Amino acid sequence: MILEAKHINKYFTEPERHQVLHDVSLSISEGELVSVFGESGSGKSTLLYILSTLDTDFYGDLTIYNQEIKGLTATGLTDFRNKHIGFVYQFHYLLPEFNVLQNVMLPAMKLSLKSKKEIESDALSLLEEVGMKSFAKRPAYQLSGGQQQRVAIARALINNPSLIVADEPTGNLDQKNSELIFELLKEITGSKNKAVVIATHNSKIYHNSDRSIEMIDGVVRL
Amino acid sequence: MSKTVYTKTNTFIALQYLFARKKQSFLAMIGVLLGVTTFIVMINFMTGVNDFLDDAVFSGSPDIIIGKDVKKSNSLLGQGSFLENYDKIDLFLEEQQNIKAFAHQTISPAILISNSKQFPGSINGVFADEERLMVDLERRLIAGEGFQSLSKENTILIGISLAKRLDVSVGDSINMILPNGKNKRLIVAGIFSFGITTIDNVRTYVSAKTIQNLLGYTNKITNIHIKLKDRNNVDVKNDLIQKFDGITTEDWKDSNKTIVIGNKVRDILTWSVSFALLLVAGFGIYNILNITVIQKRKDIAVLKTIGYSSNDIVFIFLIQSIIIGVLGAFFGVLLGYGMCYVISTTPLDTSDFIIVETYPINFKLWFYILGFLFGVLTTIFAGYFPSRKASKVDPVTIIRGI
Repeated sequence: MILEAKHINKYFTEPERHQVLHDVSLSISEGELVSVFGESGSGKSTLLYILSTLDTDFYGDLTIYNQEIKGLTATGLTDFRNKHIGFVYQFHYLLPEFNVLQNVMLPAMKLSLKSKKEIESDALSLLEEVGMKSFAKRPAYQLSGGQQQRVAIARALINNPSLIVADEPTGNLDQKNSELIFELLKEITGSKNKAVVIATHNSKIYHNSDRSIEMIDGVVRL
Repeated sequence: MSKTVYTKTNTFIALQYLFARKKQSFLAMIGVLLGVTTFIVMINFMTGVNDFLDDAVFSGSPDIIIGKDVKKSNSLLGQGSFLENYDKIDLFLEEQQNIKAFAHQTISPAILISNSKQFPGSINGVFADEERLMVDLERRLIAGEGFQSLSKENTILIGISLAKRLDVSVGDSINMILPNGKNKRLIVAGIFSFGITTIDNVRTYVSAKTIQNLLGYTNKITNIHIKLKDRNNVDVKNDLIQKFDGITTEDWKDSNKTIVIGNKVRDILTWSVSFALLLVAGFGIYNILNITVIQKRKDIAVLKTIGYSSNDIVFIFLIQSIIIGVLGAFFGVLLGYGMCYVISTTPLDTSDFIIVETYPINFKLWFYILGFLFGVLTTIFAGYFPSRKASKVDPVTIIRGI
């Protein structure tokens, strides 16, 4: 089991206190691609932020890779994310000051378990897997949306995390690129034995995931 | 997992940001550079002027002058202007801790007449051995000899401006007429210059014995000059007034009010202008980093999600301002030195107030170190707040807030 969430409850206090997540429980194992499907406002993004440890202001228990998340300090959390969780966002968010290769290398350079050379060859082979190796030296801002998203996936994988979290990864892409990205994520799940969580309102992803969870008004409907 | 933030990676990211906006970084650096340069040039120049004036005035003047209180005496001249019972004052002065030396003088009004010109003024009758401790005349001599020549008793030492007015040089003779009608021919034995016209225009030295003999009162003096160990402590002045009747005292602050005020004004000017410039430079850096932080909120959020902690973010932004600050301060120090050098070799065409060949300017290492430190500290201070702001970026609100 990579991720285990028990009885997650979440409240927003602004503009007035109301409950966004109602007693959500969820567990994800290696090699499993789980999609969280729902309308905007259903609470799927909120759940995703909690599962990815970005939001720790919730009630309930969350364990990832045998680590109780609530027991970690702020720095502990950052280090934990760096090592165990890879992120893919709707707006890919590559850093425009850096080239494609440097963008992929940044999380590993922070982790600094390997030499710069090793990190660079890791990054290049990941870029090859996502089909972006020939763009390695290009500035990130010169790439199209689909290309950037592929680089973002390579970046999410660089530290070999056990959990990949993707927030609407195809939300900003055309159909062809959407399919390409989803296939890539599926491939990662299978071949690399990762746990992948995708928040989406794309029904194709919903139907093609290993397991799908639908959220309506903060409640999970299995 | 390293907890230290001074990593190559963080520095690399910071440099990348810095180079991504070369022009802004360069302008920020120029701001610091100008601040530091101005500080160094101003403080060296202003203290240079202060030191020059202090040196000219205080090496040529006593710290305290004791004289007869003429309001309490009947006649302006003769018996009335002599200090009575000055041996008691001497005894008192010898006991004081803060007194370096004191000297007696017999001063009299006189008219000096050369071949072609005449000049009314006052003549300082001095005792060469004592006066040597008051005034460093050897350093100020332009021609002839110093106080030792006064032992001949028919010699006079005069300031350069006065010598020009009387149109005399060393070896020429001057006729001195005292108020009682007596006169004496004196040989110009030395010409000196303190660099300040108010001294060089009027100052004369003759032997006190000469004056006393002409006035007909041996062993009478009109003034006592005092040099203090600590010039800023003039307590002895008050003690003197309380202990002795019929005397007046004047300290260096009274007699050099314009110079004391001038020094203060220059100090205030130096510090306020330098501070203002560094403040402007600091605001420049603050602005640039602040805008960067606002523009880069998403990037900062991404850095945080991929494993960069708040401390890493602070470092990444703070190191940018430190690099700007150190470079600016370094080149500011170089430019400051260059400008000081140019100023120090620039000929100064003064009016009559001071006589000096080039602009007086200090080359004090401490001021360069201070300028460098000010430049760097300003930038650290200016960079700190935007960096803190950057580190507080919450990745959730930014990723959600699309």
